[in-house]
Amino acid sequence: MPDVDLDPVIHAPARLRVVATLAALSTGDELSFPTLQKLLAMTAGNLSTHLRKLEDAGYVRVTKTHEGRTPATYLALTPRGRAAFEDYTTALNTLLRGAGA
Amino acid sequence: MSTDPGPAPDGEHAADGADPTFDPAATLRLIREQQDRARAATEPDGRLLYLAWGLSWGVGYLCLYLSAGATGKPPAWAFWVFAGAIVAAVAFTIVHTVTRTAGTRGVSARTGAMYGWSWMLGFLTFGVVIGGLGRAGASDEVIALASNAFACVVVGLLYLGGAAAFQDTRLFVLGVWILVVAAVATFAGLPLTYLVMAALGGGGFLVMGAIEQVLLVRRRARPAPGTVSRPGEAGGA
Repeated sequence: MPDVDLDPVIHAPARLRVVATLAALSTGDELSFPTLQKLLAMTAGNLSTHLRKLEDAGYVRVTKTHEGRTPATYLALTPRGRAAFEDYTTALNTLLRGAGA
Repeated sequence: MSTDPGPAPDGEHAADGADPTFDPAATLRLIREQQDRARAATEPDGRLLYLAWGLSWGVGYLCLYLSAGATGKPPAWAFWVFAGAIVAAVAFTIVHTVTRTAGTRGVSARTGAMYGWSWMLGFLTFGVVIGGLGRAGASDEVIALASNAFACVVVGLLYLGGAAAFQDTRLFVLGVWILVVAAVATFAGLPLTYLVMAALGGGGFLVMGAIEQVLLVRRRARPAPGTVSRPGEAGGA
């Protein structure tokens, strides 16, 4: 296999699924925490842990707000996170082509 | 690092392609499945909306045409069936769209809300204008033709606007088609107008639904590698 570096932040399967889900949204759109949790079938605690890591890496933007009196959290990829995801999928495709050659 | 599902290892050491257990093809597949699931859960299904409107126009207008008989004037009950079919499609569209897009906010949500209000205001104005024509002494035939024509013009123009807002070429084609149907139906004359609306208008929606279905099946059948879709190229209306 060719020597390709894969971003360790995204390489963990759980975080890869989080980023892939958020990357499916159009730029400028956000997903609520419960909706993201349902799409990933993760526990709230587990998802929070991964989101914190992604936020620390500057890949995910966490917005805390209120809808009426209920607190709500919205998640979106930052431009950096979107770029990292695209780099990651490009690297996967490179690996595949290398393996097939 | 392994590709095992479940809680991810938290090691932050650099991963590379040298790991013999790592399968890039399986990972690309995982990404695609997750993105398909995300889109299916957050975007309205164009196929269902086209089906609802195709059936609504098909049943409603066919009912008007078949009941019109030799006089060319459908009885009152036929208009109630027609109104019921339209109201059902409107209700389905609102419930489906609101349910699907719940939990999302941002640019798309604001665009969608403005688009939804455009329909509301378009048809509110439509009702007032038709009422005004009646008040000015327009005959039943003129009212019937004008109602069809104006409704089609509102629908056609909103599709063109929606196509511009959502960058959806297929929706633009449908908008052009509905405008053509408006013209043809008005010149066809009653009661043939109703048949044109059912066949070309309702049929147009059903054809669009079928096209969306074919495109979706084709997209899913494509091999996973190299097809990680980017935002903005999501299918559907």
